[in-house]
Amino acid sequence: MNRDEIGELAAAYALGGLEGEERARFEALLQARDPEAVRALRECEETLAGLAAALPEPPPAVVKDALMERVAAAPAAARPRPRRRPRVFWPVVLSGAMAAGLAAVVVGWSVSSTYEKRLDALAREADQLRAELNAQQTVIAILRDPATQVVALAGLPPAPGARARVMWHATAGGVFVATGLPAIPAGKAYQLWAIAGSNAPVSAGVFTVDASGTGSLAVRPLPGVASVNAFAVTLEPAGGLPAPSGAMYLLGKS
Amino acid sequence: MSPAAPGSESSASLVAAIAAGDRDAFGRFYDLTAPIAFGLIRRVLRDPEAAADVLQEVFWQIWQEAGRYDPSRGSPEAWVVMRAKTRAIDRLRSMRRRDRTFVAPVDESVASRRGDGEAPNPAVVAEDRGLVQTALGQLPEAQRRVIELAFFEGLTQSEIATRLGEPLGTVKTRTRLGLERLRGALRGERLSAT
Repeated sequence: MNRDEIGELAAAYALGGLEGEERARFEALLQARDPEAVRALRECEETLAGLAAALPEPPPAVVKDALMERVAAAPAAARPRPRRRPRVFWPVVLSGAMAAGLAAVVVGWSVSSTYEKRLDALAREADQLRAELNAQQTVIAILRDPATQVVALAGLPPAPGARARVMWHATAGGVFVATGLPAIPAGKAYQLWAIAGSNAPVSAGVFTVDASGTGSLAVRPLPGVASVNAFAVTLEPAGGLPAPSGAMYLLGKS
Repeated sequence: MSPAAPGSESSASLVAAIAAGDRDAFGRFYDLTAPIAFGLIRRVLRDPEAAADVLQEVFWQIWQEAGRYDPSRGSPEAWVVMRAKTRAIDRLRSMRRRDRTFVAPVDESVASRRGDGEAPNPAVVAEDRGLVQTALGQLPEAQRRVIELAFFEGLTQSEIATRLGEPLGTVKTRTRLGLERLRGALRGERLSAT
């Protein structure tokens, strides 16, 4: 393989866009500590890091708070010991594969594709669990942040028994939970509104309720809204509207 | 990356301290590198909530795996940026997969909101003019495009070829030349800054 070819593999690999056989080939070069491949990849990675360094963006404070809490809670003994990467002796692996002949290669291909599928499924599952865990950690971090607003909403005449609560953080978003709401007529949905100062209400999302009248909603940060004076719930056409039009079911001021 | 200024801690020594379980070093390393990682993650994911999640995952992994950082393979900044890129692109791909295969049975509005993650957010598009002001702006349009599609949109080389209607070989060459040129441009910036 010439220098340009290695350069192409390294560039695509660093960008995360190298697939299949080419990816395997480049990873084998790295594993074997091929000096040209290692050098080319290092250069590409430093270049991309330099590009990223020119585009910094301050992360929301809740992320660091949540991390420092996780780190403080992690028992020192649970820290993995520094680990050397296992050395795979490639010449042995390769000569073994060659000796085993074409049949073994064919079997190997089908086995590896089966495993690839399983790995893919496991990776997806891990991704989902990680996302769930993160969602919960975000909720905990939101609850612990002094900047978080907690607003209780009380039922209005259409649903005097309804109650709801919003935990809301300007940059992290929040959570809304309601109980005791009447069942939703066909073609309608409840819509949550955030009211900041004298501005028009901003939609914070649409939600439905189950048979017991309970519903919830993950509230995303609202563009341009730093602090909310009131939250309200109205009944609107399914899918919601840009501005409230229907009867108000819940209202709470912060 | 530029070497640490005299008297300041080097990022490499911070990583070594993190590997030894130093929580304060972790906090300082976060302050130093998280904005870089977050800038990239935000450009890939756009959705601020998902971006904050991914940032947290990346740094949690850094806390756990600091002992595996190998200075001979690159700077700590590059190590962080590569992790941030991989995680952000994984998340983007899984969101795309879910958008393609998962249709919420009841609450369609939530499903369509989820799609927001990929809709061009005017604020982000405007802000991304910042990209042109970086070294990326010094690249010929064609080279710049392949790098943006891969780095910020998570497209593979063959996906880029399909998207642009160009042969795969052209995309590969452009990617390599683009990165080489970008490297030269970044180096030029650093020289002119000193």
